[in-house]
Amino acid sequence: MQSFLDIFDIYLLEAVINGILLGGVLALLALGLNLIFGVIDVTWICYAELVMIGMYGMYYLVQVFHLPYWAAAPLVILLVALLGAALHFFVIAPLLTAPPINQLLATGGVLFILQSFATVAFGIDFRNLGIRLPVLALGEMNFSYARLLSFAAALIGMVCVYLFLTRTFTGTAIRAIAQDRQIMPLMGVDPKRIYLVTSAIGGGLAGLAACLLVLQYDVHPFVGLSFGPITFLICVLGGLGNFIGGFIAAFVFAEIISLGGLFSDLEWGYVLAFAFFIVMMFIRPAGLLARRS
Amino acid sequence: MPVRRVARWLAGLSVALAALGVAAPTQAQDKKIKIGVIFDLTGPLAGGGSELQYTGVKIMLDHYAKTGVEGYKVEAVYADAQSKPDIAINEAVRLLEQEKVDMVMGFFSSAQCVPVAARVDQMKKFMWITTCISSGVFDGKNYKYVFRPQAAGNQYGMMTTDFIAQYSLSKFGKEPKDLRVAIIHEDGAYGVDVSKGNEAGAKKAGFNIVLKEGYSATAPDLSALVTKLKRAKPDVIFHTGYNPDITLLFRQAREQGLKFGAIVGHGAGYGVYEKLKEGLGADANYLFNTDPISIWLANQKGMDPKLPPVIKMVGEEFDKLKPGVPIRSAHVGIGAANAYVFLDDVLPRAIKKYGGVDPDALRKAALDTDIPEGGTMLGYGVKFYGEGEQYAGQNARSFPVVLQYIDDKSYVVWPKSQMQRETVLPLPAGTTYSYK
Repeated sequence: MQSFLDIFDIYLLEAVINGILLGGVLALLALGLNLIFGVIDVTWICYAELVMIGMYGMYYLVQVFHLPYWAAAPLVILLVALLGAALHFFVIAPLLTAPPINQLLATGGVLFILQSFATVAFGIDFRNLGIRLPVLALGEMNFSYARLLSFAAALIGMVCVYLFLTRTFTGTAIRAIAQDRQIMPLMGVDPKRIYLVTSAIGGGLAGLAACLLVLQYDVHPFVGLSFGPITFLICVLGGLGNFIGGFIAAFVFAEIISLGGLFSDLEWGYVLAFAFFIVMMFIRPAGLLARRS
Repeated sequence: MPVRRVARWLAGLSVALAALGVAAPTQAQDKKIKIGVIFDLTGPLAGGGSELQYTGVKIMLDHYAKTGVEGYKVEAVYADAQSKPDIAINEAVRLLEQEKVDMVMGFFSSAQCVPVAARVDQMKKFMWITTCISSGVFDGKNYKYVFRPQAAGNQYGMMTTDFIAQYSLSKFGKEPKDLRVAIIHEDGAYGVDVSKGNEAGAKKAGFNIVLKEGYSATAPDLSALVTKLKRAKPDVIFHTGYNPDITLLFRQAREQGLKFGAIVGHGAGYGVYEKLKEGLGADANYLFNTDPISIWLANQKGMDPKLPPVIKMVGEEFDKLKPGVPIRSAHVGIGAANAYVFLDDVLPRAIKKYGGVDPDALRKAALDTDIPEGGTMLGYGVKFYGEGEQYAGQNARSFPVVLQYIDDKSYVVWPKSQMQRETVLPLPAGTTYSYK
């Protein structure tokens, strides 16, 4: 009994809070991917690679061109937003009416192109931004400001996207076109423009994630491998295209990883998270917040 | 007339002899050994040390491509394993079957070495491993055509525990049984193998093992592991990792306030100092790395006199390729030194004594290898375990050393026979991770 009670210590609380902060990172990553899928109905398999390009952008602007972090961040968000728009224009738009598997394979191809491009252009070295944010200490518990920032950015990002989608004409058009792609052109909405705007916003969110992740992780051409699959799973778990579902799924997933890793081996945390995903796919195939039909 | 005729005959004979003289070496130079070299040049392992190992091997192969060996040209064919075991196997088979290389060399990752060694030996082709360290490559396999001069993973693990055990009382003020140690490692063949050595060494020393745990090198978050380390309060952490998991662990350890007396690394990411420095800044100071000795730090007094000029050549070539690197990575030296053993010792014997470069000639020549301690650039000798022995093909005379990075320089601090300075242990008060 005592050994069981021993686990309820300060470290358990730290693990819970760290899980929430990791959830913030994952939620931030899932936000853009969900937006793209929700509106255009295409899954960008290469989404994490856009984040990787953004991280390189931050590295070069801050370390090589000596821009302050706060000045580099908007430029990177803009750069990745443009990249997102270009991805839609050159790759997705010609395939909009193609079968979903073709679209998936095309964005998969872009994934390999971006990885290879980064390898050739930036080399295989791990690069570090060299910025070390202070640590928030609460008694024996310590928390990373970089993660707190990601958490706050994920919350603010979600609220902003929500407000944009509900309070602006373009946002309303985006939601409308997500509901019926065929009918909206009859009401004067240019779907091409809407898709381009949505892709740019999705790219911009990837850029925002890049600005925050580069404070926590080294950048290298394959950094996307650490995040890509897990981000995709979170989006599916939350219900592809469902922002709130994705947001909640990110925190559920992160808590399972964090607490599973604390009570057992770290690997078991991931095993449990993926097992949970599979079980939920049986129980709620359309995602955590899907309505029963 | 007869004089003129004799002169004409002599002239003709001279021309014929000259022509033969020219033709003979040409014919000899037509003989060549084609070596397939496999390292990870892309993917996460490339920056974790594989590309540096490749650089060391390439410097040596380029050198011998100019000089040849016993009348044989040396030709290298390079392949990228892309940090994936399946690609490594496919590339090894492709090089042997399609490129018709006489042998394969290199291999950074133990996860690749284990399956590739099995495949190559099955094909009865010769394999010379310069880098990967997993004991699992040879343990009980009884391969005939696979050889490795490099030290084995369990030796790494036991060397570090031996090092800490020697200083337990004098530096930590604790008997070994009271010293709390944690063993953490990436969960591939490399990390698991070294951790087994750590565990065996820790048990032998009588340490109190408070945590032993593996993790995926590509895990996006290690905070739960750091929390467990905080809870376990180890004096010493034995860590085996690639990169960037090493920098992620240190970053999260700093952010979560983990304190300890020392962390001892085991090659791979810990062998690339400039990356540690870039990622950790001043916190890279006083880190330990266990690896074969850097060829530029090896004691040249007790070394075969033919080796120092080769070490100098490797250093100069490396500086040309990567100018401005503060510490020449031990990885480069390991690749170069282990390739050199083959090109300087095994290959000439295969050609002269066994008549060629076919797998059996190379195998017999490798089994004849008998280099005493001090006979390689890495300080150790070479004698392979023979057929029927548990580790057949593994070098029985290799050993790693414990290095410590102090003020942007690296020093051998263990074993005592190679020691270059007194170790700084535990971490000095005031440093980020110090528990003092």
